[in-house]
Amino acid sequence: MRIGVYLCNCGGNIKDKIDAEKVRAGVLGLPGVGYFKAVDFLCSEGGKDFLAGDLKTERPDRVVIAACTPREHENTFMKILASSGINPYLMQMVNVREQIAWVTEDKAMATEKAARLISAALRRVSLHEPLSKREIDVCPDVLVIGAGPAGLKAALSMAESGRRVSIVEKSPVIGGMPVRYEELFPSMECGPCMLEPVLSEVLHGEHSENIELLTLSEAVGVIGSYGNFTVKIKKRPRYIDAEKCIGCAECIGVCPASAENEFNYGMNERKAIYVPFAGALPNIPSIDETVCLRLKGKECSLCLDACPVEGAIRFDEKEQTIERNAGAVIVATGSGLYDCKKIPNLGYGRLSDVYTGAEFERMLSSNGPTEGNIKTSKGKSPKSVAIMHCVGSLDKNHIEYCSGICCQYAFKFNHLLGKKLPGVRIFHFYKELAVPGKEEFELYAHAKGDPNTTFIRYADITDLKVGSKGGKKAILFKKSAKKSDSVSVDMVVLCPAVVPLPDSAKLGGILGSPADRFGFFEELHGRLDASQSKIKGIYLAGACQSPMDIQSAMTQGMAVSGYVLSGLVHGRKLEISPVCAVVDPEKCSGCRVCVSVCPYKAISYDPEKETAAVNDVLCQGCGTCVAACPSGAIKGNHFTTEEIMAEIEGILR
Amino acid sequence: MSGEFEPKIVGFLCNWCSYAGADKAGTAQSPYPPNVSIVKVMCSGRVDPQFVMAAFDKGADGVIMLACHPGDCHYTEGNLRALGRHRMLLRLLEQLGIEKERCVMDYVSAGESEKFVKVINDTVRAVRELGPFRPFSSHSGK
Repeated sequence: MRIGVYLCNCGGNIKDKIDAEKVRAGVLGLPGVGYFKAVDFLCSEGGKDFLAGDLKTERPDRVVIAACTPREHENTFMKILASSGINPYLMQMVNVREQIAWVTEDKAMATEKAARLISAALRRVSLHEPLSKREIDVCPDVLVIGAGPAGLKAALSMAESGRRVSIVEKSPVIGGMPVRYEELFPSMECGPCMLEPVLSEVLHGEHSENIELLTLSEAVGVIGSYGNFTVKIKKRPRYIDAEKCIGCAECIGVCPASAENEFNYGMNERKAIYVPFAGALPNIPSIDETVCLRLKGKECSLCLDACPVEGAIRFDEKEQTIERNAGAVIVATGSGLYDCKKIPNLGYGRLSDVYTGAEFERMLSSNGPTEGNIKTSKGKSPKSVAIMHCVGSLDKNHIEYCSGICCQYAFKFNHLLGKKLPGVRIFHFYKELAVPGKEEFELYAHAKGDPNTTFIRYADITDLKVGSKGGKKAILFKKSAKKSDSVSVDMVVLCPAVVPLPDSAKLGGILGSPADRFGFFEELHGRLDASQSKIKGIYLAGACQSPMDIQSAMTQGMAVSGYVLSGLVHGRKLEISPVCAVVDPEKCSGCRVCVSVCPYKAISYDPEKETAAVNDVLCQGCGTCVAACPSGAIKGNHFTTEEIMAEIEGILR
Repeated sequence: MSGEFEPKIVGFLCNWCSYAGADKAGTAQSPYPPNVSIVKVMCSGRVDPQFVMAAFDKGADGVIMLACHPGDCHYTEGNLRALGRHRMLLRLLEQLGIEKERCVMDYVSAGESEKFVKVINDTVRAVRELGPFRPFSSHSGK
């Protein structure tokens, strides 16, 4: 073996502290050393040209470069090795600038340490193996779970760039939560109007042929990894042929069976054949088999008789399980609201006229249960309304974080209440107020300046007690440590903490994507990679990752599209780093310790062979499993036990 | 050298936080004693207890393991694995009669060059006070 050693002088940076001639004398006699060369600036254009030419002339078997930190120029030199016909992994760098020259006062000691570390690198590099990146074919198609703002934005942007996208949506309609809201903060835009163009693009736009919309569907299984997932999808029957239905709604009026409308939180009823609310898209009814008389085995054909299109209603439709291949999966399932019944002193679920913000949104909507009229349970317009902020939020007994959106819709309610019911008295009970952003202050300022609006700060949610008194809601609150006061209102609106959906843990389990301590999908990094999950190829968009508003959800929808479009490119193979772990099945005892320590779920256990195997697509090369394996059956490429041991020996020679 | 005992210390540093912290000490040109030679690993979770024992066996007077702070690990939790292994090592070293001050684990972020220098200084001082490590295996001699 012939090892070439290069020492970069880095101008005077290294040269002034490390005596190249003494290093040469110390290094030249060591085993395997073919030559030693000191170069002025190895990273300069001239230095790189010299190195490339010299490697071609000298043809060393291994290379040691003593220079700056490998964090700066390891890739530079690896590329030069590769272009000179030498496997780039047959090099070891020694960080003589940052670790020696710049920090060691005594020149003799610095020189001695440089020789010592070069000797360690020589021993290590002699064991290096040529490694190469593996390339795999990838599927550029994408699967999006959830058809709210984040999911639709992602789907649309990827479809626009020519990707085939399947959207899996649990409910019969798309648009997520905001299509149920009449007006949106901060600029009082009409929710359905704002989103309608996006929904239309998805359904009938220029690139809609690239989008497959699977409503009433759920992902129930996922196999494979980044670049090549196969997702199993359970598709419930709609009982309506989407191709034939013209959306005339003739069937709905004649239907004799009805049930609570869950889209209006049970505040009114819908038919067994229904669209959840006027304007819901796609404009195709669905049949609720738990309510439909015919699907429950009774005689009824009223909808069939009313339908003007032959074969649009399909009672023979069955549940299907289908599969889709995708290179990446985008989770955009959204969030839920904290259960206000967990704070019984607020009266929710016990007293009439106590609503959650989401319920009140539907009351405000012209396509909602009251057609946009704000009415008490007695059918009257309220003269006074209390809006409770921070319900369950910033509270170690409930939800510790601030959801960040509630204040803004609370002040939107303030504005809408004043507009719809001139003169209405409004009381904001709040723990903290949060209205960051360049547009968000306006609704707050409007409420602050409204003579009919009163702000009352409370310290703890248990300081508030909502009771019923003479047909009104009496709210008892602490004015100071000793004094209490009360206000009487006709209606109470609660703004609960935004929380993970109850079934997000189930989906997380299916995808192998872990939850954070609150139950949201955990991001790879809170600031650098908030839209990537911990699992490569599974991306997060919208409130499934953290409470967020529409703007942030849309932005995350674009962010995940960026990951997909840059990572999975048509016709380009996926490069897999060879710096990963490899299990030797001959040595593996099948104890599965490695499976338990891997943070990336990259190791699987084969019960038939009784051995573990590493998926190199998922492995990030941390080496935790290598150190954990009691049988020494796992090799950490480029950081093998032998290589590290040789380095230790070299240091301690 | 002054003839004073100069300990040989091996430092295992993770690539992302601690190694970068050491680089920052370099960029800041903060001097520290040359006794610690650094072995880079991608993650502190790669530090096999065998490496530490081998270092002592081959003549190290001390070992330093540096990791990302809890919660900051580039690989999520490799640093916590390292912490567990370090605890185990301390018990083992105790059984072998080796002073625990010879085997240090700490957290150094990419920004903490001052902390890095402090850990190096403290460890070098402590090991220097302890004196040369007397190998535990008879074949290693004195």
